Amino acid sequence: MSRKIRQAAVIGSGVMGGGIAALLASAGVKTLLMDIVPFDLKEDEKKDRKARNRIVAAGLENIRKSKPAALMLAKDIELISIGNTEDDFAKLAECDWIVEVVVENLKIKQDLFKRIEKVRKKGAVVSSNTSGIPLKAMSEGLSDDFKQHFLGTHFFNPVRYMKLLEIIPGEKTLPDVLKYMADFGERRLGKGIVWAKDTPNFVGNRVGVQSSGRSMQLMLEHGLTIPEVDALFGPAMGRPKTGMFKTTDLVGLDIAAHVAKNTYDLVKDDEARDSFVLPDFVQKMLEKKMLGNKTKGGFYKTDLTPEWKKIRKVLNLKTFEYEEYGKVEFPCLAAAAKAKTPEEKINAMVFGDDKGSKFVWRCVAENLIYATNRIPEIADTIVEIDNALRWGFGMERGPFEGWDLMGVERTVARMEKDGLKVPEKVKKMLAAGNKTFYKVEKGQRFFFDFASQGYKPVRTNATMIDLAILKGENKVVLGNSSASLIDLGDGVFCAEFHTKMNALNDEIIDFLGKAHDYVDANGVGLVIGNQAGGMPGAFSAGADLRQMREAAGAGMFAEIEASVKKLQETILRGRYSSYPVVAAPFGLALGGGAEICLGADRIVAHAELYMGLVEVGVGLLPGGTGCSALWRKILENVPDSVSDFELGKFFIPVFQAIAMAKVSTSAAEARATGFLGPKDRIVFNRDLLIGEAKKEVLRMVEDGYAPAVKRPIRVFGEAAFGMVNAELLNMQAAGYVSEYDCFVSSKVAMAIGGGQSRTGGYVPEDNMLALERKTFVELLHQEKTIARIDHMLKTGKPLRN
Amino acid sequence: MKEAYIVSAVRTPGCKRAKGAFKDTLPLDLISFILKASVDKIKLDPNEIDDVMIGCAFPEAEQGLNIGRNAAKIAGFPDKVSGATVNRFCASGLEAIADAAMRIMSGWCDVTIGAGVESMTYVPMGGNLPRPYPDLEKKQIDLFISMGTTAENVAKRYNVTRQQQDEFAYQSQMKAANAQKKGLFTEIVPTPATKFVTQPDGTVKRETFIQSFDDGVRDDTTVEGLAKLRPAFSLTGSVTAGNSSQTTDGAAATVLMSAEKAKALGLKPLAKFKLFTTIGCRSDEMGVGPRYAIPKLLDKAGLKVEDIGVWEINEAFASQALYSMRELGIDKYLDRVNINGGAIALGHPLGCTGAKLAATLIANMQRTGAKYGVESMCIGGGMGAAALFELCD
Repeated sequence: MSRKIRQAAVIGSGVMGGGIAALLASAGVKTLLMDIVPFDLKEDEKKDRKARNRIVAAGLENIRKSKPAALMLAKDIELISIGNTEDDFAKLAECDWIVEVVVENLKIKQDLFKRIEKVRKKGAVVSSNTSGIPLKAMSEGLSDDFKQHFLGTHFFNPVRYMKLLEIIPGEKTLPDVLKYMADFGERRLGKGIVWAKDTPNFVGNRVGVQSSGRSMQLMLEHGLTIPEVDALFGPAMGRPKTGMFKTTDLVGLDIAAHVAKNTYDLVKDDEARDSFVLPDFVQKMLEKKMLGNKTKGGFYKTDLTPEWKKIRKVLNLKTFEYEEYGKVEFPCLAAAAKAKTPEEKINAMVFGDDKGSKFVWRCVAENLIYATNRIPEIADTIVEIDNALRWGFGMERGPFEGWDLMGVERTVARMEKDGLKVPEKVKKMLAAGNKTFYKVEKGQRFFFDFASQGYKPVRTNATMIDLAILKGENKVVLGNSSASLIDLGDGVFCAEFHTKMNALNDEIIDFLGKAHDYVDANGVGLVIGNQAGGMPGAFSAGADLRQMREAAGAGMFAEIEASVKKLQETILRGRYSSYPVVAAPFGLALGGGAEICLGADRIVAHAELYMGLVEVGVGLLPGGTGCSALWRKILENVPDSVSDFELGKFFIPVFQAIAMAKVSTSAAEARATGFLGPKDRIVFNRDLLIGEAKKEVLRMVEDGYAPAVKRPIRVFGEAAFGMVNAELLNMQAAGYVSEYDCFVSSKVAMAIGGGQSRTGGYVPEDNMLALERKTFVELLHQEKTIARIDHMLKTGKPLRN
Repeated sequence: MKEAYIVSAVRTPGCKRAKGAFKDTLPLDLISFILKASVDKIKLDPNEIDDVMIGCAFPEAEQGLNIGRNAAKIAGFPDKVSGATVNRFCASGLEAIADAAMRIMSGWCDVTIGAGVESMTYVPMGGNLPRPYPDLEKKQIDLFISMGTTAENVAKRYNVTRQQQDEFAYQSQMKAANAQKKGLFTEIVPTPATKFVTQPDGTVKRETFIQSFDDGVRDDTTVEGLAKLRPAFSLTGSVTAGNSSQTTDGAAATVLMSAEKAKALGLKPLAKFKLFTTIGCRSDEMGVGPRYAIPKLLDKAGLKVEDIGVWEINEAFASQALYSMRELGIDKYLDRVNINGGAIALGHPLGCTGAKLAATLIANMQRTGAKYGVESMCIGGGMGAAALFELCD
């Protein structure tokens, strides 16, 4: 049988259930969202369908309003239908996947599954999103057929943004069901799959909560404060900026405490069971309802000064009062700040002499031991544990990846010296001469498998391409300090940027020209993409503003114009060259980054795409093809047979996108505003992006690629500035825009409209580009533009002058 | 010169743009219905009609192709009845009546219709293809300013406070609600409206229902509620959705004839159309139009403010209506102004408004016995218009 998810059902419309439903809808899956009928219905409401659906309707409303947005495109909510578990239960018979996200109560879940068993269609998959209740207990007494299609699918909150999906096979789950669900989760929903076992709190939470629980205890033993711990376990250690306690404030202390308590109760044989006993202050905070952001105060609290300035305070655990705090300083942090590589950073943090470093070492060492001892209890391999912590907790690397950076031998020696019990399997590994948990050979990454005491390949999706590995394998064919051209095989090459935020500088423009020459001579097609880390990461944050500012400061306007011209030409080579060029943007694709994408033959974008032409924010306009390219892209999908249409309706959204520096909040939204066209593709899994882009290049070659033809562009002409000037008059009178905003905006209108042209006439693309370029340089001459640039460079925020 | 008499003046209800009862009713249906109703009401043989003038502020798309002629034909008038479309933005309906009247006064026609129509649902304010003059020097850019901005300018320049505007808006709503309750809108003819109804098999069918009341009136309006609304056109402004006119769909028609013709047909005239005038003002404060049009009208007629028994001063915005009344001393006679509410409650269907207010004014003159009635409004681009009506015995 060919398995398909034609429709899914999510039972339970709380934060997690709603999040799952929203993700499914965003991925184009029709979804039935259900919840119970309220208990407290009045007599006259008992037959009122609206009243009976009150809970699920509220859940749907929360999806609509959720911030950050749960849906990638607001109208995707149309894919979600709602119902209640009394009147609509039979509708589950139409669903191919039913996921349960109801309250964490075994009896309730058992009863629900018994009811589902009666209505589910044959072959339908049923899963639980439980974070702690054993699957075995939930499916007890159910038929074999049910059990064969039953598994755990554990998402993390917020579902759209957290990459981790733990899949927990039940005792009898069919292998093809597991394989299908893992593939669905990975490709359709874009998740990173971790294979977990049916053990308390599965993988991510088990190891993660041991770390945070034990760190809280050690914090008290070492006499550290909350901000100190957050600073120590922040970016210096490859962890999120929010740190441990700020993250707990986000999640909610009640939830964190519940997970810890649940684990403690269930892991009776755990050698480190006491790690899950949270210190007394947690209990006290729970009693005082200091739960975090949802109660407007947890470990931290944001207060306002009498001048209405925000001021962040932290809980003093001795006095239980909130107090101001300053910058945390430790020698290890200072050393890590100076360090260049992740390896140097982590070693500076762990092997320092100061109080902070000693604390870090102890926390890390105990967690490494704990994680090692959980294999094979909670997962079969170190890969699962590393992936779970990276994807579920936003860490740059998992415990074993970090361990490799610190040096396994060195660390084990120190553990022993400190009287910690080093797991036998690690000692055995070292004794056999295996010094690392991971290694790369011939383009393949291997991990150390404790069970077989040898290395095994890390299995990934066949489409996945890891640029770092390719670079390690000498696949770089040309490059400079800002960018590299990497051979992806099959004649396809990848132009990879690697500057800070992948900002575009002169080196990158130079490089791109050479990359095109190289591919023209040696390849079949080009992918422009990279795998910069971070959440959401940056494909490219746009032009290097500092470089531009310096050139303008030196009065080198002729040089700037020449350089913009070169940028335009380089970008348009993507469109007019005789081989396909596919851009693979993800995360931030701003300014020049967006222009590169608009200039490619095709875009294969990650679903989390924040794309926009934002130059107006610094008093400029998109000069590197942006104005003409967005206009052209939107118009080029109108068939020639539509001989006459209102250009103004096309002009307004293009103008607004540029003049208001709009940034999409997803790839779907970028498509809705025309940055992505009908042929461009959206890929949900970022790890597959380069691979999918390569496939796209090869498909285009296979299909008999012919480059775009350079044709004059139909323009809105002088009507553009007529329309915009009239509207700006109102906006300025209303106080929505400044005089200078108006000045810049009317320049944008001119550039998109093709200058002083007949409305509806045709303008050669080169003329449009020249206008864009000249206007760009003209704006750079303006004092207020320079002030905007300086402000942005200094504060990172736009100036409205 | 002959005199022009109004023998019939009726209107459709005014219904909210895009949300109201006429959202699916074509403007041609609205205007052709009310043309026929205006004639049927006095049992006039359409063969008597010489010409039909129809005001429309945005005569394009569904309102284009000379809706003046097309409406007459669809109303069932014979081929020989001609028709024209007249545009003076918000005074179009009044302009149409004035043009119709002049044809009688000059002796060119014996029977004419002056009417107005606007479906702001079908043709948006500003039209489907707005093309402000692309003047790089921006010399006359004020011509294309948004009406909301002009209302803010009036409020700011002439110190009309938010509180005054909200109070005025509240009164408009209360007067309209009261008139509705008491059935005072005798000039309304219940009008067929279109709706598209999904059938059990999923197909959609065009059906008709009768709409008999203005659907924008809010009897639950409070001053406190109005005070909470955000300024609609400026961050720091005072003009809100609550103290501005509503955007509305509607049509209205007035039948005019000479005294001789009325006598011959045995029809009793309702009012005499005495005088009409227009005047220009600054574009960026177009709302002050009535402040100049009214004195010009009264001067020509040799009348004073106190001589006018009933006023219909279009409430495009509370700010401009209040300013105009204050400057002219009309605020001393507030019980004579918009006695059944104004456009804030009843709506301002642009090109229809002039004809709609004429129907309302004549009904109010008849009910109150006021000898003179004046209708006035401001006009986008910077103008004012005013007309004087005299009640017949």
